[in-house]
Amino acid sequence: MSASLATKTASANNPQASVAPVMEVRGLSVVVSTAAGERSILSDIDLTVAPRSVLGIIGESGSGKTVLSRAMVNWLKPPLAITRGSVRYDGRDLLTLPAATMAGLRGREIAYIGANPTSALDPTVPVGHQILEKLRAVAPELSPQAARQRVIDTLDAVRIPSPKQRFDEYPFQFSGGMMQRAMIVDALVSNPKLLIADNITQPLDVTVAAQILRLLRDLQKDFDTSIVFVSSSLGIVSEIADDMIVLDRGHIVERQSVTGLLATPEHVYTKELIAKVPKIWATAEAPPEPSSDTVVLDVRDVDKTYRVRDRKAIFAERQVRAVRGVSFTVRRGENFGIIGESGCGKSTLSRLLSCLEQPDAGEIQFEGRDIATLKGRDLLGLRRRFQLLLQDPYNAIAAHASIGRTIAEPLLIHGLGNRREIEQKVKDVMAEVGLAPTLYNQLPIGLSAGQRQRVNIARALVLEPELLILDETLSSLDQVEQAKLLDLFETLQVKRGITYVYISHDLAMVRRVCARIAVMYLGRIVELADNDTMYWRSAHPYTRALLSAVPTVEAKPYRTGTYLLEGEPPDPIDIPPGCSFRTRCPFAFDRCATDDPSQTIYADGNASACHLPRNSLPAPELAH
Amino acid sequence: MTSSTATAAASPATPKTRYRGVTARILRRAWGQTEMKLAASIFLALTLLTLFGPYVIDASATKMSVANKFLPPIFMEGGKLPHFLGTDQLGRDLLLRSLIGLRNAFAIGVVSVVGMFILGCAIGIYSGYRGGLTDVILMRLTDVQMSIPVVILAITVLGMSRPSPLTIIAVLILASWPVYARVARGVTLAERQKEYVRAAKILGASDLRIMVRHIAPSILPPIAFVAVLDVARMMIFEAIFGFIGIGIQPPTPTFGTIIASGTQYLLNAWWITIVPGVLLALALGSLNLMGGVLERARNHILQGGE
Amino acid sequence: MAFAIEFFLRRISQGVVIVILVAFVIFTLLRIVPGDPIRIILGPMASATALEEKATELGLRDPIYVQFGRFMGQVTTGDFGRSFIRGAQGGSAGGSQDAVGYNPESRASVSALIANALPYSLQLAALGIAFAFLVAIPIGLGAGLRAGKWPDRLGLYVSSLFVSLPNIWVGVVLIFLLSAKTGWLPAIGYQGFAYTIIPAMVLAIELSPVMIRAISVSVAANLGEVYFDVGLVRGLSRRTMVAKHVLRNAAVPLLNLFGAQMIGMLLGGLFVVEYIFSYPGIGMLTINAVFQRDFPIIQAVAILASAALVAINMLVDFASTTIDRRLKF
Repeated sequence: MSASLATKTASANNPQASVAPVMEVRGLSVVVSTAAGERSILSDIDLTVAPRSVLGIIGESGSGKTVLSRAMVNWLKPPLAITRGSVRYDGRDLLTLPAATMAGLRGREIAYIGANPTSALDPTVPVGHQILEKLRAVAPELSPQAARQRVIDTLDAVRIPSPKQRFDEYPFQFSGGMMQRAMIVDALVSNPKLLIADNITQPLDVTVAAQILRLLRDLQKDFDTSIVFVSSSLGIVSEIADDMIVLDRGHIVERQSVTGLLATPEHVYTKELIAKVPKIWATAEAPPEPSSDTVVLDVRDVDKTYRVRDRKAIFAERQVRAVRGVSFTVRRGENFGIIGESGCGKSTLSRLLSCLEQPDAGEIQFEGRDIATLKGRDLLGLRRRFQLLLQDPYNAIAAHASIGRTIAEPLLIHGLGNRREIEQKVKDVMAEVGLAPTLYNQLPIGLSAGQRQRVNIARALVLEPELLILDETLSSLDQVEQAKLLDLFETLQVKRGITYVYISHDLAMVRRVCARIAVMYLGRIVELADNDTMYWRSAHPYTRALLSAVPTVEAKPYRTGTYLLEGEPPDPIDIPPGCSFRTRCPFAFDRCATDDPSQTIYADGNASACHLPRNSLPAPELAH
Repeated sequence: MTSSTATAAASPATPKTRYRGVTARILRRAWGQTEMKLAASIFLALTLLTLFGPYVIDASATKMSVANKFLPPIFMEGGKLPHFLGTDQLGRDLLLRSLIGLRNAFAIGVVSVVGMFILGCAIGIYSGYRGGLTDVILMRLTDVQMSIPVVILAITVLGMSRPSPLTIIAVLILASWPVYARVARGVTLAERQKEYVRAAKILGASDLRIMVRHIAPSILPPIAFVAVLDVARMMIFEAIFGFIGIGIQPPTPTFGTIIASGTQYLLNAWWITIVPGVLLALALGSLNLMGGVLERARNHILQGGE
Repeated sequence: MAFAIEFFLRRISQGVVIVILVAFVIFTLLRIVPGDPIRIILGPMASATALEEKATELGLRDPIYVQFGRFMGQVTTGDFGRSFIRGAQGGSAGGSQDAVGYNPESRASVSALIANALPYSLQLAALGIAFAFLVAIPIGLGAGLRAGKWPDRLGLYVSSLFVSLPNIWVGVVLIFLLSAKTGWLPAIGYQGFAYTIIPAMVLAIELSPVMIRAISVSVAANLGEVYFDVGLVRGLSRRTMVAKHVLRNAAVPLLNLFGAQMIGMLLGGLFVVEYIFSYPGIGMLTINAVFQRDFPIIQAVAILASAALVAINMLVDFASTTIDRRLKF
């Protein structure tokens, strides 16, 4: 790799190379043919990718940004068709190149990384072998040993731990973040001149996305590659790009440098876009106050362990410790938030809370009764008062039943009322959540995500529950729809006195609605605090790392550089001794390796599990 | 976050489109194919012929006639009406015998497929939904059942007892239910993880209610389309049983016995064997083509196509 | 390595249980159907007292589980008992001698009968599978690689046609066309390799439609996977992607199909085809045994068939988990 780096640096010093753009798109228009005729996806796109630069393309879903990034590698398939324009690379128009010549450029000079790293490679072949196969295909002049060595070196360069061993592991053994690193290796291993990164951080957790952005920025300098970085998150693009292009429904509406765009947006759409980025700190809205009423839900030292078969030993099992000693209480009428990244145990916790599975140890008490001991009628009674709303509005509703029937289902299950009463109740609740009465006899076909989620909410509300758990319920909705439903939840809370538990990874949403918040890491609550303390003066390094990584466009109290996490959460099978966060903690010291910190409850009722005294973390860089 | 409906074609099936009126879309796609219309027309024609043929054709399926034996079909020299497809070694009308054979075979095929579908799917859904030890035991049971070849089971049971339509159906169901159990279990395992099942549980639905009202309606239609292919397969088994002599017993005509009896006269009266076989193959062909088109339409829709 | 050991330990123990269960089911079934074995052994002329005496002596009056235990004990030493009917020197002996003169030693050993017939069946099966591959692989691959185009239609038509031809009829038609009419190939019985060709063609016509469907479906499905498209954009050629990745991934469902479906079909097909062609293999042996109520042969064939199925399924699953490491075992 060092040799190739040297040649790249040499060519970068060539003054002529810095003048000519790497890629020029001129007058590009793309249409999609549907049964209803042709519809324009992109119209008259002009853009230039300068050498050694990162061009950011920002657009909401439906703006045509994925189509644009695919058109730049001439990878559009029917029903998409290019009607006009050119994509010039190295003096040639990619769109008119013979297929064989185009194939020779792809992967070798122009690399593309997509949003879906986990399904990007053949699942049955080790990751390293596939990268090697690609390298050998695009660079046949390399000897097998040299090629292999270069793949391993590049795996090392993207900080994949023990690259020699990882070389022989399969895609399913890589986490999403590791897989995205592997795809970056795959793209960069052949020293391409241009890398098109289409929404590559979209499936990743914020702390991992922050690492990937930093990595890509560093590699861009080392490899001297130009990058086109496409994303729907303004916060993310602004972290990495030099120049930005704003795409709205197939048109470029604005182009500026990043600083210029954020400081002085010109187009009204850009202004809207900036305004839509959720504000966590720079908000005038006061967060909800904790209520100090009676305890509704009391979770005490709950543990849940799953067993998986071990492939490396005979008749052996390994234990996945999904939830470890979780305790918290929820008070009547409050909004409680549980946040954490993927794999932190929040989905398991949600299954335990909804009584679909029983904890191995500990108790979950609802109004003073242990829900694990409930059976038959009692359990049914509990389900009436204690409902859970799921994340996916599409799969949660059966396609074969009418909307009225779907909402009536819980009433039928619980035997509440005769046919007329049920119909009346269903219609009432439909009106309450904002579903048109005409939908009563319709099938869910054609409902939008928001409407489906309303059906889902109506189905839970028709039982008149007292406690509603929202498990990533709003994650799949766009900002506008999310805001509407949050308003609806608030109205219902005032009207019916419902208690909400929000389980989410969305820090901005939790900031807006929850009075008290628990942060989970590797099956454990590492910090539990009221809203203001959590966001302005958090006591745990992990909480600060999470908050520092949120892609926003405002000043943060926690600097990304100070709290950037290395690596990924350990496998819940091999939880390290001592503090489980110490392997990634920027502040870990000797004691963390041996002692597992227990939860310290402070005078203000907040708690955190860290050996560091509350005030020894760096002071927040922004005052409240 | 695919940015438009257009790119959905290039990305894998989104869950959004997957459970939208799947059945209706499969049927619509299947009906759009020329093959489907062709096969359905052949099938309809044969059905009408089978239903009304015996009343229209002035002949008897079982009446023997020495004067009329070995008559060739009417398109050959020496053929005469009303014996369109000729007669057999006993002078019986081959078209009528074939039509009655077809009717019997089809009835046995449909009843046994319905039976194995219900039995197999019920066991499969139960096994997949329950999981754990129940699942292990039931699936090992299907292993046992599947490791006895159909024909061995059939000749053992039917060869040892007196075959009747009912015992034939029973043997076919017994031999083939595990296939449906396997498929239904596989789909249920995946379905059990889906959010709508979790949603139903949280609402308080009982396990039985979830299996019958929620899982079954979503998974059965796609399996049922493929069952069409099995009707044809069961009809072939019925013919094989008749051929070996363990099927429906004479004098009731079945394809198996017609074909078997003709083999002795193959050189001078080949039509006794060949012609009824063509009729059977035509019927099976129309069923299989319909089943094949339905299966492809199902795969197309389930893989996210329109 | 540990995984392979655990896999085989687990599956072999499960397999043994399955085979014993199958053996018990068949064994019991054969003893509750009408027809007293001793009557079959000694023939209609033997007197009632002689029958009872001989039956007790042979252990046929013991409870079924005792008989089954004794039988399984013999099976573990490779002894499947002796035929009721067939003489040790060939030919049928059933019913021709009196009770006193009956000596089990005069009847053929079932193991020997099966060992004689098995090579013929294996030869027929191998040729049948080879013919089926010859037809199914090109058509199936073509249909899978060019979904929606003419090769795809060809696959649909050929498989729909072949699956609609009952093997009994195809057998007779081929005898008529290739043997009786033209004299190109011999057909009935066995006097040399040429006698295997027509029966193998019938088997191939039965097996190939399932193969064509399975190959085309799994190849087409893999072409639709994200990794295939991404591979092209990563700089790999379509040919590399198909040869190294699509075929590899498509092999997993195909292997399962061969384990679960094809072997059962092949066995069933063999029985019928051997019967049609009087081909002296296992199928012929078994069908004759059924008609003669020669229980030891039937139960031995059933047990061996299920053992073969279990073993093949085990190997197939092992191959699948080796190709695709995500599969559980």
